[in-house]
Amino acid sequence: MTFEKRRAKTKQEIPTTSMPDIVFMLLMFFMCVTTMREVDVLVQFKLPEAKAIEKIENKRLVSYIWVGKDRKIQINDSLVDLGKVEELMYLKRKALPEVIVSLRSDQSVDMGLITDIQQALRKAYCLRINYSAMIKV
Amino acid sequence: MIKKRKIPDAEIPTASQADLAFLLLLFFLVSTVIDVDTGLGLTLPEYVPPDEQIEVKVDPTRMAAVLVNENGEVLIDGNIVPVFKIKDLLKPRIESKISLPLNKKMIVSLKTDRKTVYNIYIAALDQIKQAFFEVRDEYSNGKFGKKFNDLNQEQQEDVKDAVPIIISLAEPESIKK
Repeated sequence: MTFEKRRAKTKQEIPTTSMPDIVFMLLMFFMCVTTMREVDVLVQFKLPEAKAIEKIENKRLVSYIWVGKDRKIQINDSLVDLGKVEELMYLKRKALPEVIVSLRSDQSVDMGLITDIQQALRKAYCLRINYSAMIKV
Repeated sequence: MIKKRKIPDAEIPTASQADLAFLLLLFFLVSTVIDVDTGLGLTLPEYVPPDEQIEVKVDPTRMAAVLVNENGEVLIDGNIVPVFKIKDLLKPRIESKISLPLNKKMIVSLKTDRKTVYNIYIAALDQIKQAFFEVRDEYSNGKFGKKFNDLNQEQQEDVKDAVPIIISLAEPESIKK
């Protein structure tokens, strides 16, 4: 009597012909989602934490101001003086009237500087601002 | 007799296509930053030159003045309170003004010293916003049985009308000598 190994008659292979398609689909997703970093941040900062946080829905409207822990201010690609903030932001607002200014400031900066920036923003008529903060857990 | 010439196979090898796609995929996976901008939103008041500023008298009962000094101590209407208590103190006062018309709603005024640390300012602002958000949530829960974020546009507007977030940033004063 011979013993026969029981074997399923069906093929035991995973079809790989459609694998490229699946990978391409994933690829497409990541290509759509990716936003390349546009600017080099030249200042060092650690964002404060907060709970009552809102998301900015429309990323196109956002314009950033970085404030480092050494009180340096960065707009666009370069470090700027406090006196230049108003002029620069006015140009931004002219190009995009409903601009939202996201203030990415270090948590140890004093309010004097922040107030000065805010006054400059008010003069430049950029009234919608957002204090960037991390979610506190 | 004409020999039929054999047509060579004109196929692109697709076996490595998956590898190529994976390579691209890996690149995008690594370079993707899905960071959503989160933060505390605020609308600044319009700039008015100092000589054109008019003082408007506001009923003191609808006003809560939150003062933060350079040491991070918080003063609400003359009483020293810890930062994390701001929310609990403001909530009942906001709630008591829900049924009143818009010109009688609660105003929270936030004022800081020039030497106050930004972190504490954000903490105080966060507390104030939380107070407003929680009152909104409770109001919408009582009226529609849902949280504010789950309401539709119309209902949200309704809640926003009932509980508007009015945060006033005090005009910076010039330093007196």
